Amino acid sequence: MTYIVMIALGVLVNFIIYLSFGSLITMGIGKKHRGSSCPILLSAVIGFFLYYCVFFAVCLPPMKYYRPLSMLTKIWVPTVLVVVAASLLLNGKAWIKGFGKWVDRIRNKPALVLLIIIPVIIQVVLVSCTYNFTLDAAYYVANVATSVETDMMNVYDPFTGAWQDHYEMRYFFATYQIQDAVVCQLTGIPALIWTKSVMAVTVIILTNIVYYMIAGEMFMHVPFISGPGDEEAETKSGYSHVGYVRNNEFAIPVMMIFMLVVNLTFITIYTSSLFLLTRTYEGKAIVGNLAIITVFYLFIRMNDESIQERAWLITFIVCFGAATISSSANMLLPVELTVLFIPIIIRKKSFSMLPKYIACVIPGVVFSLIFVLYVKGYFVWYTFPK
Amino acid sequence: MQGLNVTEKGIGYLWACLTAYTGACAYLMLYVAALVYICVFGSRREKEIFIPCSVFLILTVYNPIAPVILNRFFDVNSEYYRFFWITPVIVLVPYLFTRLIFTARDSKAKSVVTVLILCICLVSGNFVYRNGIQLATNIYKMPDELMQISAIIHEDSEAEYPKAFLEYEYNMQMRQYDPKMQLTVDREDYLNAVSTPYTEEMLEDETHPQYRLLAFLVRLQPIDREAFLDALESSKTDYVVINKSNPRNTFLLSAGLKKIAETEHHNVFRYEVKEPYDFELVDYTVVY
Repeated sequence: MTYIVMIALGVLVNFIIYLSFGSLITMGIGKKHRGSSCPILLSAVIGFFLYYCVFFAVCLPPMKYYRPLSMLTKIWVPTVLVVVAASLLLNGKAWIKGFGKWVDRIRNKPALVLLIIIPVIIQVVLVSCTYNFTLDAAYYVANVATSVETDMMNVYDPFTGAWQDHYEMRYFFATYQIQDAVVCQLTGIPALIWTKSVMAVTVIILTNIVYYMIAGEMFMHVPFISGPGDEEAETKSGYSHVGYVRNNEFAIPVMMIFMLVVNLTFITIYTSSLFLLTRTYEGKAIVGNLAIITVFYLFIRMNDESIQERAWLITFIVCFGAATISSSANMLLPVELTVLFIPIIIRKKSFSMLPKYIACVIPGVVFSLIFVLYVKGYFVWYTFPK
Repeated sequence: MQGLNVTEKGIGYLWACLTAYTGACAYLMLYVAALVYICVFGSRREKEIFIPCSVFLILTVYNPIAPVILNRFFDVNSEYYRFFWITPVIVLVPYLFTRLIFTARDSKAKSVVTVLILCICLVSGNFVYRNGIQLATNIYKMPDELMQISAIIHEDSEAEYPKAFLEYEYNMQMRQYDPKMQLTVDREDYLNAVSTPYTEEMLEDETHPQYRLLAFLVRLQPIDREAFLDALESSKTDYVVINKSNPRNTFLLSAGLKKIAETEHHNVFRYEVKEPYDFELVDYTVVY
């Protein structure tokens, strides 16, 4: 029971932090537009990526100059506290209002909310209670445990525990595990519990939030034959959405249930669904599910022009944040951005988007190039002064 | 992707990679079918969302030349399949299923469509828990026996960081649970050991004594006693933990290792290193 409380508390604190970070970016967004998705949900998702962007910036110098993990913890904790306090001051009222709307929704439509929450709870129970043997955990989780044990960052080989004379650049920019190590050091929670339970549950909830937002976006615009005048409106504009969700909001949980069915059954050792359900705590599972799907959500919103303020800033944060979570993002997100946004830029003839698209692609490309230079032997970063 | 090589397969790599990626699942075919549906019956908005990105995906990710070109700059042999994650299967297929149900004319039609879709899902996929759900037996999600072995070794050892040789699964798991345990063999060596036999040249390699341990204890290749003990000595391995069913158990006893404990399925042996080496963390205080 104590552990369940500890996991729940960890997840709750995570979401408070993500909401605080994200709200600094999303505050004010959507005032002029329809509120298809609660800004609180969007803030939490964006906050997750922003959190890792800021962590990356704070983590990199001490890591590069082989300072102890405890030093980073001492820097990072006040940073987070300041951000949370500032966000509380700036967004406190908006949060209360946002949560108030949710409370109303739960009171008014308990069946709908229950239908949304039950699949999420099923996934949370599955990922937090099942045993899975995966080879890559030998790096990811052991790296967290090793960093806490040695009070250093990426200096000791997670596989054997031996000292390494140089940093392995493949993992150097993916500071996601170092953040886990900071929390484990600060709270005393063992690495296995933090990564495989707290972070796994956090990622599952975040992914489902994005599923919910996507389902909401998709069914804002679907003309239903049962709705009066829908076909006509669709023919006229292709964008009309008057009353559609109001009449058909049960489509959202149904789509989420089908998303769960796909995740449960689209299974080979390579699919992102398998990564989501059995390797949830790994950086590449987060990139392959949460980051990719968040970019797709932003693409839908930009396609509909239902989000204009800071849309590219948010996309940049997702891309940069993903690159600091796993090196898999370095190639995946630039390609995803290309297949999604180049057609929009061409179709809308909105060439002013081009530099923004390039800015979003840059972090992944730069990290990839640095890695190539390292592999080709152009440079090495040692873990001790030479 | 294991066993697939861009250089060997050339433009055939993509198809081989895609075949391995989808396995017995039909979801990519369902995605294509959904695209055709959207092309024919979809609204302008639906077409804008799903068609251009799919065309670009065909031109890039699903272009057989793409892995060949990419492989010249990056080694994509083992990771190209991750580009398939970009395909929005998780959005389009559930969306279309839902749309079909909700656009059905009456409740009878809705029921028929729902049943049909559930049947499609059943035959299209491969259930993640088809072999049953294996619940974790402890909060660490580690085998109980591994935790016992960790405790046994630390109780027995005087060193803060004892070094152990473990079998495959425990070798991959031990340091997640116990970062104070040094391991003789790293992950890559183990992966190579389970797939390829050791050559004479490798077994004579003084710089990699772990090859001899893996060859003898995992691949069950013949090694003489002295070479095995020398490998333990030069790798500074304090403990050897092997399954009770491993045929090398009796040899370890005859070679002078001491069985200090046993768990349900494993024996824990201690080797007295002649020239002990106490691992210590590097002192970085001299740097700051």
